Amino acid sequence: MSEVTLTAEAGRETGSGPSRRLREEDRVPAVVYGGGQPATTITIDRADLRRAMTTEAGRNAIVSLQITGGETCTALVREIQRHPVRRTVLHVDFLKVDMSKPVDIEVPIVLTGEAKAVTTNGGITEQRINTVRLRVSPSAIPVAVEVDISDMALDRSILVQDLVLPEGAITLSKPRQAVVTAELTRAALTAARGGGDDEAAAEG
Amino acid sequence: MLMPKKVKHRKQQRGRMKGNAKGATEVSYGQYGIQALEPGWITARQIEAARIAMTRYIKRGGKVWINVFPDKPITQKPAETRMGSGKGNPERWVAVVRPGRIMFELSYPDDEVARGALNRAIQKLPIKARIVTREETY
Repeated sequence: MSEVTLTAEAGRETGSGPSRRLREEDRVPAVVYGGGQPATTITIDRADLRRAMTTEAGRNAIVSLQITGGETCTALVREIQRHPVRRTVLHVDFLKVDMSKPVDIEVPIVLTGEAKAVTTNGGITEQRINTVRLRVSPSAIPVAVEVDISDMALDRSILVQDLVLPEGAITLSKPRQAVVTAELTRAALTAARGGGDDEAAAEG
Repeated sequence: MLMPKKVKHRKQQRGRMKGNAKGATEVSYGQYGIQALEPGWITARQIEAARIAMTRYIKRGGKVWINVFPDKPITQKPAETRMGSGKGNPERWVAVVRPGRIMFELSYPDDEVARGALNRAIQKLPIKARIVTREETY
């Protein structure tokens, strides 16, 4: 996984007022913690943060944080707080990572292929979970976990334990948790029973 | 229509709708959502109308989630009644919605159809709303 570099400034004033003024200057308040050391409050340029978070790795990018007037550390974005309406970033949490130790991380699940056996028989595939929690080495964090659904049949599920994970990764989600299910739609069920018109069934 | 099975108090005061939604501001279940951009009361009838508009448009093959519940009773005095004699009778149920709230979610394989369905649902609502997707554009 590629590493992105972010320049941060340490020693910001904390509190809602100073943080609001920072955001007006297009700087995002953030905090770095982990590694058994006390948390450090920092600020990042909004455009730099955007560039760092829009690489192929997305939110799981390994960030090399160069803190002016401080240390340089490797970190992962642990949490991004956003404004509920404007969606702008309000605050970011960085977690320091030791590249030799595994980290717990949420990785998106991406479905590939088309479950023709399901759709031709009036069924639908439903993705039950969108992310899976993995414990993996920071250097081997996958961009996404791909699930091929082209061989799925009706009334079948793909579980967390069926996922093909990168080497060295273990899942922290429940192994029997369903990732994708394939079942008949309510409309198809009603049609099979021979009752009601299609629209009423689809209306549910 | 949606309404509580039982309530502790039959009548409520109107309350205020200051600020933004505190939770349910992210698309959690489906791929698309309808996000409120204004505060307002959404009646059970409007929720039902929006749901029907959506499900009729997608016909089949999708799934709809309703993330708001009308749990606030609204009273009304009968027409041509003199003022006084206490608070009116409970007439309808509303959900209190603040800006940012994801009110409905939809999962559907086709993007164009999904957006068409959500636009039709938005037409049934008394407040400004927009379509949001799960993929966060940074």
